[in-house]
Amino acid sequence: MIGTAIDTGILTNVAYFASFAIVYSVLAIGFNLQWGYTGLFNAGIGGFFLIGAYTAAIITTPYDPPTVLGGVVIVPGHWGGLSLPFVVGAILAMVFSGLAAALIAIPTLRLRADYLAIATLAFAEIIRRVTINFDTFTGGTNGITRIPRLASFEPPDPFASGMVLLGVGAVVLLAVFLFMNFTVESPWGRILRAIREDEVATMALGKNTLLSKIQSFALGGAIMGLAGALFIETKPYLDPQDFSPALATFPIWVMVIVGGAANNRGVIVGAFLIYGMEYVSVLLKDYVPSNTIYYVRLMIIGALLIILIIYRPQGLLPERRRVLK
Amino acid sequence: MAILEVQDVEKSFGGIRAVDRCSLTVEPQSITGLIGPNGAGKSTLFNIIAGLYRPDGGEIRFANQRIDGLPPYTMVQLGLTKTWQIPHELKKLTVLENLVLAAKGHHGDRLTNLFLRPLAVREDEKRFRKQAQNVLAMTQLGPLAQEEAASLSGGQKKLLELARALMTEPALVLLDEPVAGVNPILASSLMDLIEQLRQQGRTFFLIEHDMNVVMKRCDTVIVMHQGRKIAQGPPEAVRKDPVVIDSYLGG
Repeated sequence: MIGTAIDTGILTNVAYFASFAIVYSVLAIGFNLQWGYTGLFNAGIGGFFLIGAYTAAIITTPYDPPTVLGGVVIVPGHWGGLSLPFVVGAILAMVFSGLAAALIAIPTLRLRADYLAIATLAFAEIIRRVTINFDTFTGGTNGITRIPRLASFEPPDPFASGMVLLGVGAVVLLAVFLFMNFTVESPWGRILRAIREDEVATMALGKNTLLSKIQSFALGGAIMGLAGALFIETKPYLDPQDFSPALATFPIWVMVIVGGAANNRGVIVGAFLIYGMEYVSVLLKDYVPSNTIYYVRLMIIGALLIILIIYRPQGLLPERRRVLK
Repeated sequence: MAILEVQDVEKSFGGIRAVDRCSLTVEPQSITGLIGPNGAGKSTLFNIIAGLYRPDGGEIRFANQRIDGLPPYTMVQLGLTKTWQIPHELKKLTVLENLVLAAKGHHGDRLTNLFLRPLAVREDEKRFRKQAQNVLAMTQLGPLAQEEAASLSGGQKKLLELARALMTEPALVLLDEPVAGVNPILASSLMDLIEQLRQQGRTFFLIEHDMNVVMKRCDTVIVMHQGRKIAQGPPEAVRKDPVVIDSYLGG
């Protein structure tokens, strides 16, 4: 009995680790569509991730009114509280993140490429600040609690919960992976790769490149929203700090660059590898001070990135050449 | 009835007047040459006609329809395609992909069709791959079909430019120096191909510096100088035109 208890403990840990890595894989696949395939540099991944997570949380959580004590609001609560199923939350998360991406893409994609990076960087920061400060809506720094789990067990069973989460995560990742491969390996996806190589030439070959760019960016944003919906299931409560650039934008770039831009298999490998370093650092926390391990991890990632860019700029699994029969 | 009419077109960049009230016409099923010294505004004029630059003034008609101000992809849909002086090959796409991409009216170009009309997408893809293979054979690029476009030589990239343009089923092709950098034997067979395509009904309007090619292959030659047309006529007449000799051909 003791033996199995230890085993499920480790397995539960691994399940949660893998679930986080799956969330980042989905985020990275969204960014890969935008940047790896279309050449659109999104510097505000965290913003679209946040919109998805908060949309899903507000839709799936129960009613949460503000807690008032002697006329003072102690806990702000948050809007929504519709108690709807996860699937509804996930779909609306995709819709809202996709719409946000389209709204940013429509004006900025007419301009030179750099403006998209500037606009998305600013957007993500604004949306995060608004989330922190507009606390009657979002719960502010208190975050959103009482997120319903995908399945609840009585008595609570962390192992079973972890397995359900991992199972749902794996299904979502597989669906996203297959859907994306179908879309990017299509004639439409070929236009995206052509835009990445030379947009003016693509336009001069009769393609409405602006439309394709907006579609690619919005679809990528929607996938990031889906990652957000999945993310809330992995967390005890939703915290706006989880969406800072350092946690939700920069690591995604590294995952895609390390794994291999324009190769979704590579991107998943990159996500597990980079997030895996975080997991290892958590395992080591009993032996090394957590501050030290945090900085050592960043140094290792930095060194890995430099080595890779010098010796293997195409990433671990590079883009394939398409042989058309 | 001219297939292309350019009327008083103007374009300035800063203080430089690249195209200065230029007017010219191109007859259908002709091979029309556009010559002139460097900086005469030839490539700029091509870019304006193809919709890549918006003219400051003037009108352009293609097959009796006003086209100035329309976006470049619309020009291609109407039947007007341009190639580049400096090849714009899509580097990481294969030669075959470069061609299939250019196919006109592919159902799969629309994102929604991938899900709503998958059969039409698959049929188009099959048909256009076959068509692309034929065009590659015509342009002697067949053996390179599965190579990345980046790996082609300079001359081969020029062939790719023409091949890609042909995939768009154009009525009028604007060729910006189609044989510059192509070896003489290949250049000659390329011009034979253009002649053959003209006989099938297409019109070619080309910029070229090689006077042998221009004099031998073109029905009409237009000479530009300082942004304006200074002569238009059959090669023999243009060659003897004193204004042309003075400003371009020399003594």
